[in-house]
Amino acid sequence: MYSPLNRNKWEPYIWLLPSILLIAIFVIFPIIIVFKLSFSEISKAGVIGGFVGFQNYKDAVQLPAFKTVMLNTFWWVISVVGISTVLGFIIAMVFNQKFHGRKIARAILVFPWATSLVIQASVWNYIIKYEYGSLNSVLLNLGIIKQAINWRSSYQIEFIWECGVGIFVTVPFVAFCVLSGLQSIDNSLYEAATVDGAGFWSKLWRITLPMVRPSLTVSTVLNIIYVFNSFPIVYTMTKGAPANKTDTMITYLYMLSFYERKKGPATAMSVIGFLILCICAGIYMITVMRKEEEQ
Amino acid sequence: MRDREVLRANRRALILVILGVVLSMVLLSMPLYSFNANVYTKKSPNTFVGDEKYQTVRAEVEAVADEYRAQGFEAEIDEDVLERVNSKGETTSLITFTVNERISKSPLSMLGIGFPSSRVLAALLCLMALALVLTLAGIIGTLDLTQRYLSRRTAMLRNAAAVALLLALLLVPVFVLMNNYTFSRQIGLYNADLLTDGKDALFAKMDRLLFDGRMADDIGKALGGLTMQHSGMLWLLLPAILVSLLSAAQLRYGSIQNSVLKAALYFFVVVVCVVTLYPYYVMTITAFRSNAETLDMYFLHLFPTKWIWSNLSDIIHRGVPRYLFNSLLVAGGATVLAMLCGIPAAYAMARMKFKGKKVFLGFVIMSQMFSPVVLLIGISQMMNTLHLNDSVLGLMLINAAFNQAFAIWLLRGTFVSISPEMEQAALIDGCGTVGALTKVLIPMAAPGIVTALIFVFINAWNEYTIATVLISTASNRPITVGITQFSSFNMIEWQYLFAASLLATIPVVILFMSIEKHLTSGLTSGGVKG
Amino acid sequence: MKKTLALLLALTMVFALLCSSAAYADDEITLDVIICQYGPNTNDWLLGKGMNGTNFVEKFEAENPGIKLNLDVVSWNDVYTEVDTRIANNNAPDILNIDVFANYANEGLLLPVKDYCPDDLFDDFFPQFIAQSVIDDTVWAVPDLASARALFYNVDLLEKAGVEVPTTWAELEDASQAILDYYDGEVYPWGIDLTTDEGQAAFAYYTWGNGGGFVDADGNWAVNSAENVEGIKFALGLIEKGYTNPNPATQTRYDLQDMFAAGKLAMLIAPNQLPTYVADKGGNINMATAGIPANEGKTGSSVGVMDRVMAFKDDSAPDQAKRNEAIGKFLKFFYDPENYVGWVSMEGFLPAVNSAVEALVASDPSFEAWLDVLGTCQFYPAAKAEWDQVKQGVIAAEQAALTGADIQTELDNLQAALVK
Repeated sequence: MYSPLNRNKWEPYIWLLPSILLIAIFVIFPIIIVFKLSFSEISKAGVIGGFVGFQNYKDAVQLPAFKTVMLNTFWWVISVVGISTVLGFIIAMVFNQKFHGRKIARAILVFPWATSLVIQASVWNYIIKYEYGSLNSVLLNLGIIKQAINWRSSYQIEFIWECGVGIFVTVPFVAFCVLSGLQSIDNSLYEAATVDGAGFWSKLWRITLPMVRPSLTVSTVLNIIYVFNSFPIVYTMTKGAPANKTDTMITYLYMLSFYERKKGPATAMSVIGFLILCICAGIYMITVMRKEEEQ
Repeated sequence: MRDREVLRANRRALILVILGVVLSMVLLSMPLYSFNANVYTKKSPNTFVGDEKYQTVRAEVEAVADEYRAQGFEAEIDEDVLERVNSKGETTSLITFTVNERISKSPLSMLGIGFPSSRVLAALLCLMALALVLTLAGIIGTLDLTQRYLSRRTAMLRNAAAVALLLALLLVPVFVLMNNYTFSRQIGLYNADLLTDGKDALFAKMDRLLFDGRMADDIGKALGGLTMQHSGMLWLLLPAILVSLLSAAQLRYGSIQNSVLKAALYFFVVVVCVVTLYPYYVMTITAFRSNAETLDMYFLHLFPTKWIWSNLSDIIHRGVPRYLFNSLLVAGGATVLAMLCGIPAAYAMARMKFKGKKVFLGFVIMSQMFSPVVLLIGISQMMNTLHLNDSVLGLMLINAAFNQAFAIWLLRGTFVSISPEMEQAALIDGCGTVGALTKVLIPMAAPGIVTALIFVFINAWNEYTIATVLISTASNRPITVGITQFSSFNMIEWQYLFAASLLATIPVVILFMSIEKHLTSGLTSGGVKG
Repeated sequence: MKKTLALLLALTMVFALLCSSAAYADDEITLDVIICQYGPNTNDWLLGKGMNGTNFVEKFEAENPGIKLNLDVVSWNDVYTEVDTRIANNNAPDILNIDVFANYANEGLLLPVKDYCPDDLFDDFFPQFIAQSVIDDTVWAVPDLASARALFYNVDLLEKAGVEVPTTWAELEDASQAILDYYDGEVYPWGIDLTTDEGQAAFAYYTWGNGGGFVDADGNWAVNSAENVEGIKFALGLIEKGYTNPNPATQTRYDLQDMFAAGKLAMLIAPNQLPTYVADKGGNINMATAGIPANEGKTGSSVGVMDRVMAFKDDSAPDQAKRNEAIGKFLKFFYDPENYVGWVSMEGFLPAVNSAVEALVASDPSFEAWLDVLGTCQFYPAAKAEWDQVKQGVIAAEQAALTGADIQTELDNLQAALVK
């Protein structure tokens, strides 16, 4: 790497210092506390007691809802990140074409990204209400359906709605990452491929995908972290009801901590989630670093 | 050779266009709509077949039916007995008598009745006729075979034919849905007295359509239990017109593939935009509804019957401007702080070589792994120690810290993508490192910085959980916490919630839209370099 | 390099500034108060202009110089989070208004009421209410408001369908079926709420109505008694047969009240504020009340819900006596009929002190009947330490049963966890 500026070997650290301070004080310190808490006894009201070893972890794993919640979290992350990546990619491909009103369409696409999740979830919660929701209202008044439909007739369907809202708010971010990747592709590459007689699919596989892969990787990893840690959608729409069947890990441990008041296991569970994410991010970092070294 | 080919193509297209139009006409004149008018309904609870009450009610119903028969109706009597054994072992029974009249009508018979759909149908027919004429005229234009290319007028005629058919095609679902709305929904609402405006006019038209106006004043009763079904064959109109359209399009463009692709593109874009805007439509109209209308159990209106602007003044009265101001302060402050700390760090990461770089990167990414929800206890302990509980400043710092990772990652990518030569030159010219950064690199990296800035701003603007716990004074609440007063414990005042949401969303959306162009380019430089 | 240093210096200064901003001392005493948000008027009354142009805090501070109130109105969704987080950081509020108290008392966080509550005020509380806040013969909290629940029904809907008001479960099923048949499913006969917010209330309605309950005759947990299982099975049966609102796991009581206000729901169990609520929502329903239906041969019981005010210990306070006195002044002011009547009637609750009754009944005669109902109400066993766990446990059990689990097993597991 190019580095002409290292006149003083301490200089880089000085440049990093404000950032390190900020993160250490306001993020790392609370993380350390969470680690400490996960090995401590915590009373129902929140009074912190002594060291209890791995008891909290044992309790957490033995919680009856543990398996359901883990499975839900898995599906939540996989479906939201997976589908929004595919959908975001397709939308970016289309919105990269030339058409009338492209500027307006792109501006509209930004909306969900710029709206608070609490608000977004409240709106969707209102939309799919059976008795007075807007979706039934619109469909009925357009004559598309004749009877109001119960859009949340079972917990499976409610969970699908929650994933849907998750996808709705995640797609714009992916789409813009991919759009930025697409814009960096030199048009001459496509022209050359066309001369060689490459069709749409082969151009997609050989040029487009490799060129946008870096943007896609980045957006995917960030999305995994954000979606895994996403709280307002599930909490606003169902609070995990019925019986934790629609909970993801974050909402579950929130309920566990502040409603069921099992604060010890809740803290242990958050550390487990942290470790899972660390593994994912570790794999990501290793790949990114390797690539950078190759460059 | 060529002459004959052109002639043949013309002839084939013309035949197909005519065929499509004729098919559509045939379909439209078939009795595709079947109505079942319960001209009279009587529900009688606690009645048993054969008992005294039954006899009275039955006689009553017979009398009504006879009255109708006297006017020349079929008037069949249906009797639906619902018997149940209740918990005490007694049998209960609910008998429903209906006098029915079954009528079939063709779509064409709705012409001239004066329904909204009648006009659509008329327009549809006109368009098809027009397309036929235009196609013919277009073909006449090509009969002069000495011309190598289509004359402009001919091309225009053929364009117009295709457009007319396309419009006709789009009118088919409009027609069908309009009828669904009028015959099932609107009449149902009128019958339930949920709508009143325009009831008499519509019922008079229904009378003309179904009973040739014979019902007159009794029409209200007759439509009491009207059910309508349309045959699935109605949708065959679509392929019929499509045949015409495709042949017209082929006549014009030679290849239909391009026009189909273009149409699909616009269709996709429109669908994406409509779905994206839908929640905002809901938010906006609900924000201006009255309390009662937000809980409109019968789905009467797509828009507020009366726009209640006082909702806005109510929420302003309840502290929303103050919350917005706090949010602005928090988000703005967090953004500035995150940039002040993030830019130097990103600069060092991009330009300098030092030990522990990977450790720092790990440190930064690790800081993203915990949701703030999980860290509440730790954060509030830290804030207590620093005496920053319940302060806007505390929220600024927290938000800045939680957005460091993204800011550094994005800025580093931007800096790496910019060639260091310019800074080198600046250094040689005697600028310090800081000078090289502020005077050379930052202006060049502006798009990336703007993107990072916006990202931090949005995240800070939208943060909710930490603010709930840290802020305990009403005047320090940011908007995300402030709006919870409209949705306490699920007792939600939807109109206020969404009015406040609207106020909270508009500034951010405007901000985002104004930098949308930078957004892509900023993410380009940041994203591509990972 | 100079500029780097300057930048760093500036940053350090900012931090130093942050760290030194607090810590001042004077004779003033500040009370941290957390009040839950009961409805749309709470915030305005306490902090805005809802108290005849002024608000509670302003008026209190004007009348009690030397005491400052740092009052926070918190949504019920967030109040446990906020309070628990503050406790974990030794930063508990001085005064808290909430529904539960047993954990705080058992963990030694609360001040006994007699330490701060003036005697004349203490004697003013309804004794049967005070009895609900006693652990080991010590009173730990005082009631601040209550509501009584009964069966509300839409008179017109029932009349048209030829249905009498049900008093037993069997009659309830018959009535529901008749309503369902008559209105062809357009009207839900019966409202039921098994949500995370209030599923414990449903548990109370159907177990108390069957001679069961959260505890047995000796006051020990008995959530899995045969009566309870039968009661919950009955409730689940109502849902299964389609007599109820379709999504009981996510439709809260407020959703039900909205449906009732729109004439889409024929009967529901609701608190005494329902008429006010319906009027606020623009509904015009001809409604009446009746006792909550019980199983054949069992006597149903009215269900009462009560919230409490409590004071936390603060060992760091320089002058405990002065602090207690300030808390006492707060209570005195709060329960002064002049203020308290506004507090209670604001969202249509029932009072907890005798001195407010007269004024309230004068303003709305319907209160009198409700006060009688309140006298016969059964309350949640909130004084038992495991109440939080039971509350969430029965909700989880009900919801699990909704998704197909066996209610007996679920309640057995809960009971086993309780007596462990």
